[in-house]
Amino acid sequence: MSSTPRSSDPSASEPVVELHGVVKRFGDLTAVAGVDITIERGTCYALLGPNGAGKSTLSRIIGGVSPRDEGDVAVFGMDPWEHQVAVKTRLGVVPQEDGLDEELDVLRNLHVYGLFFGLRGDVFRERAARLLEFMELTGREKTRVVTLSGGMRRRLSIARGLLNNPEFLILDEPTTGLDPQVRHVIWAALRKLRSEGITILLTTHYMEEAAQLADTVGILHGGKMVAEDTPDALIRQNLPAHVVETHADEAANDSPPGALVERHGDRLFVFHDDQQRLLDWAAQHASGSTLTRPASLEDVFLKLTGRALDE
Amino acid sequence: MSERERGPDVASAGPPRAPSLATRLFSVWMRHARVYSDSLLANATPAVLEPLFLLLAVGFGVGRYIEAEFNGLPYQEFMAAGILGMTALYTAAFEATHATFVRLRYQRAYSSMLNSPLTPRDIFVGELLWCATKGLFYTTIVAVVLTVAGAVSSPWILLAPVAGFVTSIAFGGLGFLVTSVVSNINQFQFFFTAGLTPMVFFSGLMFPVQELASPLREIAYATPMFHVIETFRMLTSGASHASVEWVWVCPFVMVASALFFGAWGVRRMETRVVG
Repeated sequence: MSSTPRSSDPSASEPVVELHGVVKRFGDLTAVAGVDITIERGTCYALLGPNGAGKSTLSRIIGGVSPRDEGDVAVFGMDPWEHQVAVKTRLGVVPQEDGLDEELDVLRNLHVYGLFFGLRGDVFRERAARLLEFMELTGREKTRVVTLSGGMRRRLSIARGLLNNPEFLILDEPTTGLDPQVRHVIWAALRKLRSEGITILLTTHYMEEAAQLADTVGILHGGKMVAEDTPDALIRQNLPAHVVETHADEAANDSPPGALVERHGDRLFVFHDDQQRLLDWAAQHASGSTLTRPASLEDVFLKLTGRALDE
Repeated sequence: MSERERGPDVASAGPPRAPSLATRLFSVWMRHARVYSDSLLANATPAVLEPLFLLLAVGFGVGRYIEAEFNGLPYQEFMAAGILGMTALYTAAFEATHATFVRLRYQRAYSSMLNSPLTPRDIFVGELLWCATKGLFYTTIVAVVLTVAGAVSSPWILLAPVAGFVTSIAFGGLGFLVTSVVSNINQFQFFFTAGLTPMVFFSGLMFPVQELASPLREIAYATPMFHVIETFRMLTSGASHASVEWVWVCPFVMVASALFFGAWGVRRMETRVVG
């Protein structure tokens, strides 16, 4: 099975990423305020958080691009800042701002990036062809990047991140700004990679993306980890099972006993474990557009990261 | 994505070997060469034509009316050294300011390079080598034209490419220092007009520096450009046509400037890209 790491590799059973008490400051601003993260080999970890929560900063620290001010970081058992070359050789990164060379064509973009890893000749050509096929870009080799659509561009950026056969892939908001079709293509690709044993760290603010792909979800808020668990467990631990969503101007005073009431923008969310009770309450008290559904990761996110806009 | 399509196979690969320092520096150089070769003509033309216009208009045009010899040389030959120095200076300074800033701010080239095994130092040492290669290339072209035009009389001109390379490292490094502090691309204008232009025109391109009144003369001696031009003059016409008796110091100051500004500039750019 291709997903089994080599048994001769002594680091095979070690976590791929271990963070302890990581702190990062920019002047007076503390972007990351003491974060612990462990990512086991072959799993997908999603880092959720509102803009400015410290997601990108953390992924840059893990990727060996940025130093931290305090705490310990180990990637493949090495400090990624002290061993940049060794760590980054085994790592794939798909940044949010792709930095592709717009005037060069698709294949040349891969070629230039491959050179940074010392890839050339047949090894490069074979890998590039396979990755373009994997990301459904075959036939686009000679297309200049400036003319690619947003979706193709992102797929090229992912292909580029896979060029060095990474054991660990970091993706910073991989589907932000893409249409749903492309998003599903990318999710399928990421699931496939994970099934082959590649460890994935994903930052996103799409809850659905985290729910679809991640084994573990960490919610960052103000540079701190406010919750971390499997997607299902996060929902179970933080909220009743069901929710009715309605207009915020509906009276919430006589919500059913034991209900949890949250208000976000002009929407009112009434949570309860008993779905029937919620339905009865909604029929009596709510008017206009209401929706009754199971509680989701997004509800957990809104509850934990607060009502106010942080931006 | 259909099931039969294979993704990258991690297990068969094993931990890959990290690229060596030479491979990393070469890859940066190659990246710039690749991007740049697509617009070679547009990029090379001004860098070569501008110094040649200066030679034609001032060296030969104005020079015809100048009877006096400068440092014992006809005017156009006197100017040849400054023109070579100026070619290397502007090539490197432009590359390390505008071009570097575009890569930093607009192309976001460094953020993707930083995600590869390249360290910040690899990126900017490689880039400085690229600056120096361009400087070498243009200095060579201009040296050939100057020789054909009869403005060169020493066989030491064969070393002009080396001097062009070293000069470009010095001014590339100086350019990096400026790029590491600017917040928008228009601010480079100040560096060029208030910093480089006087340095070019008052360091021995148009007239011998010893003609300047003190303390302007001493200020000119303190600029790297004076030493660059004197070094080039040794290559175009020989040491006997130098502006100062201590001309043998000049090549050493030129190399020292390259090491000093190169190292300082790289360090400042490293700090700028690492958040």
